[in-house]
Amino acid sequence: MKILIVGAGAVGFTLAEHLSEEGHDIVLLDQDPERASYAQDQLDIMTIAGNGASLSTLEQAGIEKVDLIAAVSNVDEVNLIACMSAAQFNVPVKVARISNPEYFTEAGRLESARQGVDLMINPELECARETYQLLQSEAASELAFFAGGRVQLMGLRVQPNAPIVGRSLAEVAAGLKDRRFLTAAIAREGQTIIPRGDDVFQPDDLAYIIGESTQMPLVLELAGYSKFRLSRVMIGGGGRTAVYLAEILEAHGVDVTIIEADRARCVKLAEKLKKALILHGNATDMELLEMEGVEEIEGFVVFTGSDDTNMLASLLAKTHGVPKVVALINRIDYIPLVSRVGIDAAVSPRLSAVNGILRYVRRGIVVGVASLRGIEAEAIEFSVRSGSGVVDQSLAEIEFPDHSLVGAITRGIRVIVPSGDVTLKAGDKVTVLAMPDAVKAVEKLFQ
Amino acid sequence: MSARTALHIVGLIVAAVGAAMGVSCIVALLYSGPDVVPLLASAVIAVVLGLAANRLTARPKDLTIRESYLIVTLAWVSAAVFGALPYWFAGVASPLDAFFESISGFTTTGASIFPDPESLPLGILFWRDMSQWLGGMGIIVLVVAVLPFLGVGGMQLFRAEVPGPTPERLQPRIRQTASILWRVYVGLTAAQVILYLFGGMSLYDSVTHAFGTLPTGGFSTKTASIGAFTSPYIQYVTIAFMYLAGVNFSLHFRALKGRPHSMLEDEEWRFYTLLLLSAVVIILGSHLIAGTYDSLEGAFRASAFQVVSIGTTTGFATEDYVTWPALTQGILLFLMFVGGMAGSTGGGMKTMRLWAALKQGVVELRKHLHPRAVVVTRVGGKVVHEGVMLNILAFMLLFVASFIVGSLLLAALGVDLVTAAGASAAAIGNIGPGLASVGPTENYSWIPGAGKIVLSLLMLLGRLEIYTVLVLFHPEFWRR
Repeated sequence: MKILIVGAGAVGFTLAEHLSEEGHDIVLLDQDPERASYAQDQLDIMTIAGNGASLSTLEQAGIEKVDLIAAVSNVDEVNLIACMSAAQFNVPVKVARISNPEYFTEAGRLESARQGVDLMINPELECARETYQLLQSEAASELAFFAGGRVQLMGLRVQPNAPIVGRSLAEVAAGLKDRRFLTAAIAREGQTIIPRGDDVFQPDDLAYIIGESTQMPLVLELAGYSKFRLSRVMIGGGGRTAVYLAEILEAHGVDVTIIEADRARCVKLAEKLKKALILHGNATDMELLEMEGVEEIEGFVVFTGSDDTNMLASLLAKTHGVPKVVALINRIDYIPLVSRVGIDAAVSPRLSAVNGILRYVRRGIVVGVASLRGIEAEAIEFSVRSGSGVVDQSLAEIEFPDHSLVGAITRGIRVIVPSGDVTLKAGDKVTVLAMPDAVKAVEKLFQ
Repeated sequence: MSARTALHIVGLIVAAVGAAMGVSCIVALLYSGPDVVPLLASAVIAVVLGLAANRLTARPKDLTIRESYLIVTLAWVSAAVFGALPYWFAGVASPLDAFFESISGFTTTGASIFPDPESLPLGILFWRDMSQWLGGMGIIVLVVAVLPFLGVGGMQLFRAEVPGPTPERLQPRIRQTASILWRVYVGLTAAQVILYLFGGMSLYDSVTHAFGTLPTGGFSTKTASIGAFTSPYIQYVTIAFMYLAGVNFSLHFRALKGRPHSMLEDEEWRFYTLLLLSAVVIILGSHLIAGTYDSLEGAFRASAFQVVSIGTTTGFATEDYVTWPALTQGILLFLMFVGGMAGSTGGGMKTMRLWAALKQGVVELRKHLHPRAVVVTRVGGKVVHEGVMLNILAFMLLFVASFIVGSLLLAALGVDLVTAAGASAAAIGNIGPGLASVGPTENYSWIPGAGKIVLSLLMLLGRLEIYTVLVLFHPEFWRR
C-alpha cells in the first residue's frame, strides 16, 4: 500500500516507522526540511519538505496513486485541508489528527469535512480514554480490549507475595477449575519470554495475561493484588488530556483534583469543569499534595508537558503510597524505564494516536490492534472469514510463524482458551500476539 | 455632558406620560366624572412642555454613560412630577401627597396615601393604575421600543432601567428586544383581563387590576384591595398573574416561542418558585397549627395570596397579615427583600442576586477547605465572573444599607420602629404595604412630610436598582 503521511512530528515519525516496517511504501511530508531529512536518514521512506495543505506539494508527493493519507501534523486546519484535498484526488482512505475539541465534535456536521475525512483521531482524547482504562485496576500497566470488550489483554507486575510466585504455569493452571485465560508473554529483566508450562513465575515479572474479561479479578488476585475501587484521582498538569480525563472520570462519579501551575489556566479549568477541584500549584509540591490528602487517593496521573516532571511527580506520589500512578511520557526511549522505577503505567497521546491509526489502517480482516510497550509485540484481533485457509483447521495444523501466539478465540459470546485441538470456524475472532517481524506472516494466514 | 441632550429625551418621555393621561381622560369622559378637566389639563401641560423641551433641543448623536444615567433618573422623576398633577388638580391630594402617590405608582410600589380609594373619581383611579403599568415594564424601555434613533445609547438606557445584574438581548437590535418585552407584557395583561371578565368582574375593574398586577404594582380601586372580590376564582387568577409577573420576561418570550421547558431548565426560576412554595408551606403550616382558618382551601388561598403578593413585590392583599402569627410576618418581611426574578417587573434584590450570593458563600467555604483552590461560581451553568459577583454583593450591601438608613430616618421622625422598618422595606422593595401601621389595611397619609420624601427616594432607588440613582451622587459624576 502507498501511504502519504503529512507531518513528521512524533506521531508522523512513529507512524511512518511502524508502517514502513510492515512493508508499506511511505511518503512523509513536512514543512520543516530538517525534520524531513532526519526522517529520511532514520527510516526507509521518501520525504518531501513542503506544506501538506498545498495542492502542488501533494501532487509532488504523488497523491493520485496514494491509497491512504494520514494527516497528523500538529495543526488541525492543515490536517483537515490535506484530507479534503486528498478527497478531490479520490484517495480511498483519509485519516486526520484533530485536537481541537470543537472541530472534533462538530466536523461531523460539516458536509465537506465528513466527505473528506474517514477517521478523525484525537490524540489527547485517545490518551485520556486509555488512562481511564488503566486507572480501573491497580495492577495493569497495559490494557487492551478485544471482541467488544469480552477479551482483555493485561500487562501486570507480579507482586512478591503473590500466590503464584515460585509456581510454574502448569501448576497454576492445574489449581484452577474453569480457566479462561493464559499467560501470553513475560518480560523479565529486559527479556521477553514466550512461556511454556514449566516456566516459573518470579517476583516482579511483567506478565501479559489474555483471556475472558470476567476472569481478570481472579488474575489480579493470583498476581497478588487486593480489591481496588477508584473514588478519588489527582491529576498533575491541566492540559487538554487532563480535561478529557477529568470529564470521563466525572461522568463515572470519580472525584477529581487537578493541580496546575499556571493561574490563568486554573481559571479556565475551573470554568470548564463543573465538579473537579482545581488547585494552583506544582505537581511536585509535596506540601500541597499532602495538604490535599494524597495519601487517601487511589489514582495519581501526571500530564504536564515535561517528561522529567512527570517521572518525578509520579515517584513522589508512589512514595506516598498511591496505589496507581500513571505518567504521561512522550519520549519513547523513557518508556521501558517507567515500570523499572516503580511507576505503574505510562501513556502518551502520540502513541495513542499512532495506535488508533494503525488499528484503522489494518482494518478489514483485522478487527483490533494494540501495540504493547513493555515488550516489543502487538496484539492483533483477526476475524476468520469463510474463504480463508484457516477455516476448519485445528490450531495445531495451522503453521503460525515464530514469535507469534494465539491468545484467545471468541465464538459468539463464548471465549475459548486456545489449545492445539481447537478448530477455527468462520466468524470466529482470534486474538494473536506477534512480534513485529511476525506480523506480516500472521496477517497472510488470515487472508 | 450636556443638559440639552438629557432634556431632548426626557421631554419626549414627559410627552408620552401626557398622552397616557389623555387616555385616562377619555375613561373619565366615559364615566362623565368630575375629573375630566384635571386630567385634560395635566395631559395638555405634560404634552406641551414635553414636546417643547424635545423640539427646542437637538437630537443627541450618541449618549455617554453619564448622560444615560442622568436621563433615566431625570425621566423617572419628571414622569412622577407630571403624573402627580391630576391628583393635585382634582383636589384629592396636597402637592406632596400627589407626588408620593405618583412616584409610588410609576415605581410599581403601590403604597398609597388614600385611605379610601373608592371615594375617588374613576378617571383618577384609572390613571393611578395606568402609571403603574407604564412603570412596570419601564418607560425608557417603552421609548426605546418605539423610537429607532436610540441605537447604541439605547442599550445604556435600557441597562440602567431593566432590573437584574445583566439584561439579556433577545434580538440583535435593542429596539427589537424592547419591543418583544413590551409585547409579552401587553399580551399577559390582555390575558388577565379576559380571565377576570370570565369571573364576572366588570371591564373597568378587570383592566385596572390587571394594570396593578403585571407591573407587580398593587394599587387597587377597592379599599379592601383584591379582598373586595370574594370569588376564589378571581383570587387564584390574581395569584397566577402576580407569580407570572415575577418571572423573567425573557423566559415568557421563550415559552411563547414554543420552548416552555426553558423555564424548568432555568436555575433562577427553580429557586424563585421553590422559595415561594416553601414560604407558602411554612405559612400554611402555622395557620393550620394556630387554627386561624376554618377550611384548608381558605387557609391555603390566604397563605398563597399573601406570599405571592409580597414575594413578587405586588402588594395586593386579601387578608390583614399584620394580625397573623409573628413567624409568618417574619417570612413576609424576608420575602420583601428577595423580590422577583431578574428581568421581571418585580422589585426587591431579585432572586438572581440572592441565589448567586448564596452560591458564592458555598464557594468561599470550599476555598477555606482548599486554600490553593481556584474556584468559580456558576449560576445556571454559566460562570459568574468576579466583577459581576462583586457588583451583586455590593448591590445587596447598598440595598440593605439604604433600607437601614431609611428606617432610621423614619424613626427619627417619630414613626415607631416596626412601622419604620416595614415602610422602608416596602418602599425600597417596591411592594407597598409594610408592617404594623402601614400594613395592608392602613395607608401612608399619616407619615410626616419629610418621611414621604425619604420613602419616595427609596422607591426610586429600588426601582432603578440603586446604582443608576446613586451614581449621580458620586463627585466624579459632575466633574467635567
